[in-house]
Amino acid sequence: MFPVLQSNLPYLLQGAVYTVILSVIVVSCGTVLGVGVGVLAAVGGNILRSLITAYIFIFRGVPVLVVMFLGFYSFPAVGLRLDAYTAVAVSMIVYVGAFVAEATRGAIAAVAAGQTEAAKSLGMRKGMIMREIVLPQAMRLLIAPVLNIALMAIKQTSYASIVGAWELSFAAREVVERTLAAFQIFLGVMIIYFVICYPLSLAARALEKRLAFDH
Amino acid sequence: MDAFIVFFTRYLPAFADGFLITTWVAALAAPAAMLWALVLIVPRLARWTWATGLVSAYVEIMRNSPLLVQMYLLYFGLPLVGIFWSSIACGVIAIALQHGAFLSEILRSGIQSLSQRQWEAGSAIGMRRSAVIRLVILPQAFIKVLPALGNQLIVLVKDTSLVSAIGVMDLTLTGKMTIERSGASFEAFIAVAAFYLVLTSALGLVLRVIEARAARRYG
Repeated sequence: MFPVLQSNLPYLLQGAVYTVILSVIVVSCGTVLGVGVGVLAAVGGNILRSLITAYIFIFRGVPVLVVMFLGFYSFPAVGLRLDAYTAVAVSMIVYVGAFVAEATRGAIAAVAAGQTEAAKSLGMRKGMIMREIVLPQAMRLLIAPVLNIALMAIKQTSYASIVGAWELSFAAREVVERTLAAFQIFLGVMIIYFVICYPLSLAARALEKRLAFDH
Repeated sequence: MDAFIVFFTRYLPAFADGFLITTWVAALAAPAAMLWALVLIVPRLARWTWATGLVSAYVEIMRNSPLLVQMYLLYFGLPLVGIFWSSIACGVIAIALQHGAFLSEILRSGIQSLSQRQWEAGSAIGMRRSAVIRLVILPQAFIKVLPALGNQLIVLVKDTSLVSAIGVMDLTLTGKMTIERSGASFEAFIAVAAFYLVLTSALGLVLRVIEARAARRYG
């Protein structure tokens, strides 16, 4: 059964390794960037806040593929010579960062105002309130949305193949161009993506349910 | 900056065409996805057990694999079985198949969030199950999930950029072609990004007005 898929599976799995590496880099760096930006928006002044709002608005309103192309073509223009893989990784980090920043803002806003007031009445400073009271509670609320964003990002790494970065989808297209076995290969690749994404998807749903019970 | 303006005015007609194609693809795919979502929740509402299982398997696969690969599957796979559809048709169908799954999940969560009493009250006044669903459950669920549906719609508009990968001359592909033709580099994609931003934020505004109106009337 599925001889073409079987004989090309090692090649595809090699692509899957690249997909996973790209996903891990993008999700981890994007989360750090996004949480940092989101916290800055909560503690920073007006100018900083509107800059961050603009960043979030722009990147959330544009397709990730366009951001990838933008990165791919603008890094050389400013004198950076990056290969497609790195260019895509950097573009996606900035893109994912915007989504995580928005989620962080939401999570910080969702921590009840009573918490901040209680901390204030104890005489805590602004920075300390953020660090000791608001952030620990916000981080808990943030886990499920970040998992969902990670899921989105993993699927979006496949678009890197359009820009020319070699990973699972790129490998799949190569194999299909050589063998013409579109059904086997693309269905197989869908299953490989499914195996990568499904555990995360289950975790996100379980967490959402647990948080829903808490409140 | 000057170079950017010269470049932009020169290639504006091309971008306008790409913009129209992108809007066209979105305008075809969005209603198709919504219809498909409604079809997908029928088995659950009608309590066809095995069909419900089939639908949830389908939804999980769609939600956990990239749209691009699904689009490739249609575009490169269908000709092998003798079906030759245009790339626009393949793109629209692929988008509708995936976003239909997402939208049906949203509708399902809306239906689940309604109180059991809505069902009971409906049957208590002698309505059939189908009438309860049509007149009581679906309208309320729809109003409840309107914001989530709107967000998904914006994601759909952004996902139309993928049709460029199978050769539809939309905004994204126009950007790429312009670069190859003019030797400009990132300017083209700044223009493309601006066009998408206009499209998604205009849609966002319209959706917010609709939501506010619905909340005032039914909330």
